[in-house]
Amino acid sequence: MHRRTAIRNLALIIGGAALLPACMQEKGKPSIALKNVDLNADQEKLVGDIAETIIPKTSTPGAKDLGLHLFVLKMLDDCYKKDDQQAFITGAGQFTDAVSKKYDKLFADLSAKQREEMLLSIEADKDPKSTTFPKELKTFYGIIKGQTVNGYTNSKYFMTRQVVYELVPGRYNARFPYKQKQSA
Amino acid sequence: MSANTYDAIVIGSGISGGWAAKELTEKGLKTIMLERGRNIEHIKDYVNANKDPWEFPHRGGRTQKMIDDYPVLKRDYPLNEVNLDYWASDKESPYTEVKRFDWFRGYHVGGRSLMWGRQSYRWADVDFEANLKDGIAVDWPIRYKDIAPWYSYAEKFAGISGNKDGLAILPDGDFMPPMAMNVVEKDVAKRLKDHYKEARDMIIGRTANITVPHNNRTNCQYRNKCWLGCPFGAYFSTQSATLPAAMATGNLTVRPWSIVTKILYDKDTKKAKGVEVLDAETNQTYEYFAKIVFVNASTINSAWILMNSATDVWEGGLGSSSGELGHNLMDHHLGVGASGRYEGFEDKYYFGRRANGFYIPRFANLGNDKRDFIRGFGYQGGASREGWSRDIAELSVGGAFKDALTEPGSWQVGMGGFGETLPYHDNKVTIDKTKKDKWGLPVVAIDAELKDNEKKMRIAMESEAKAMLEAAGVKDVKTHSENPFLGRGIHEMGTARMGRDPKTSVLNEWNQVWDAKNVFVTDGSAMTSAACQNPSLTYMALTARAANHAVEALKKNEI
Repeated sequence: MHRRTAIRNLALIIGGAALLPACMQEKGKPSIALKNVDLNADQEKLVGDIAETIIPKTSTPGAKDLGLHLFVLKMLDDCYKKDDQQAFITGAGQFTDAVSKKYDKLFADLSAKQREEMLLSIEADKDPKSTTFPKELKTFYGIIKGQTVNGYTNSKYFMTRQVVYELVPGRYNARFPYKQKQSA
Repeated sequence: MSANTYDAIVIGSGISGGWAAKELTEKGLKTIMLERGRNIEHIKDYVNANKDPWEFPHRGGRTQKMIDDYPVLKRDYPLNEVNLDYWASDKESPYTEVKRFDWFRGYHVGGRSLMWGRQSYRWADVDFEANLKDGIAVDWPIRYKDIAPWYSYAEKFAGISGNKDGLAILPDGDFMPPMAMNVVEKDVAKRLKDHYKEARDMIIGRTANITVPHNNRTNCQYRNKCWLGCPFGAYFSTQSATLPAAMATGNLTVRPWSIVTKILYDKDTKKAKGVEVLDAETNQTYEYFAKIVFVNASTINSAWILMNSATDVWEGGLGSSSGELGHNLMDHHLGVGASGRYEGFEDKYYFGRRANGFYIPRFANLGNDKRDFIRGFGYQGGASREGWSRDIAELSVGGAFKDALTEPGSWQVGMGGFGETLPYHDNKVTIDKTKKDKWGLPVVAIDAELKDNEKKMRIAMESEAKAMLEAAGVKDVKTHSENPFLGRGIHEMGTARMGRDPKTSVLNEWNQVWDAKNVFVTDGSAMTSAACQNPSLTYMALTARAANHAVEALKKNEI
């Protein structure tokens, strides 16, 4: 490219940016490098808030403590098809719209109870023909739910502190007694 | 002896090649084992074997890049993050599918002995007599009594754990102590026995995982990570078992990166004099010479090598005079079965990860059981407790959900069938000269499909799986029957079959090529029929038997 053309293009880009409304401006990059998905910091935060609602911090670590939202994004970036990645981005917007319509707030500003209520309403919308929530929103939520649980149950914390995983069991006990935990 | 001259050449280093190398070297033959791929050193090169699940970036899953890179492997379970390096590259080594055939290959020292399923069953006389009785294909040139001592020999060295169940259809072997069935499997087995009045059995799988220490190998540690390579050497592989035995003789040379392109045939002596090798790293061509050649390149590639050899004498290659070389390709057809939920024993679990399950031996077309197809099928399955998954809407997110994830779910019992495929002359492999691999070699074309007998059998495999689980009290039984493409069984067989007549078979009763008696083919290509049992133990026994014969024949100057 000729130097003069390059300068002119740069000017156009800068000029264009100045004319854009505030909400369209650069929102910051996500905290991990993604190769195939164009996601901003706000969207990453939304994924984190949803993951934390699914696996909250209680007396034990939650999704954010364990970095599960970043695992969700890594899986999204590496293991899903273009269509699903696109649906994820579209669905993220639809999710925010749906929250706004119901509560007139951002998801981040909801109470813990409202966040759970929001996710449960999506979980309840199981009929594929239902139009309560758009298809992309369900893809967006489905990927977060599936990979958050995958990440949690395969995390070092879960496998060493919540269940007893041993790399080398050394034996097979075919009749191991089991007593259900007393859940709160 | 010149540098490139040995007593014996073994082409391939998988289950049967490793056995050939062990037997020949132990009998004093200077042997070279040629392997087309890289070396994988026992323990040292099992790079993922000691990783914890959370150390894999995608927790074992498959990325889009892997899916793009492996257009064939992606069709089934083998494409995964944890042992990707053990599977051959579909792009470097393409093949032509006249009809879809899922070909999953291991191109490295040890071949698929590193990733195999390890289930190890003897065949019975009903299997060796089947072709004769049904009047199809050709008769096996051997019977159970011919191979029985070699089964024992193979079992004692390989280390097969199993129970002596006393079943005629599945002869007992020289077993190590069996692995245990869990409480639910024991209960299901008992109910099946009662319901079918002892006409059907459910037994613990007989597997090439050792349950007591054996030949400097540590017994199974119940990790269920076999296909990563076992740092304890607890399952049979070339690396854990046959290779160290062969190396200990001082008679073995292993040459990785050696693609055998043809067997060198001497028209005057009517024997092979050696092989031509293409070095996969340098693209240089070399010749190696020996008194005998064992072909153990795996069923389809062994046929390819033979079809590429002595084409100036026989247009279709060495062993083609019968018109059967490359034909009669078989596999076991699978992807059909049933599963359901078992109520009870909620206070029981299991500890350890058992790399084994139960086995239901063939019952179809035996005794009073008559079907609208011939031959039969077996099932492999298991009972386990699921991860937590109760379908309660209020419990799908939040703290209570998080707690519940630590609890096991209900018991599940599932099983899948392995069906016998008949040898059909028109299920075949040929050489496709229009397509070349990374090394400029023409590729194989595979043209095979399931036919009427297998399709009828699959209907029975599905309905019997359901009936048996329901008879055992399993609830909510659901069946599955997937598209039946050949290859998925990873039990390719039959492309150079044994027989009694050089006009209708490629190999004689000692696995010798009729047209070149010092060439022995002892991998799956030798199989005259497929039975429904996992075939590798039979390859081991056939190989040891053939190697013994080869050395005796050499001593008598017969070859």
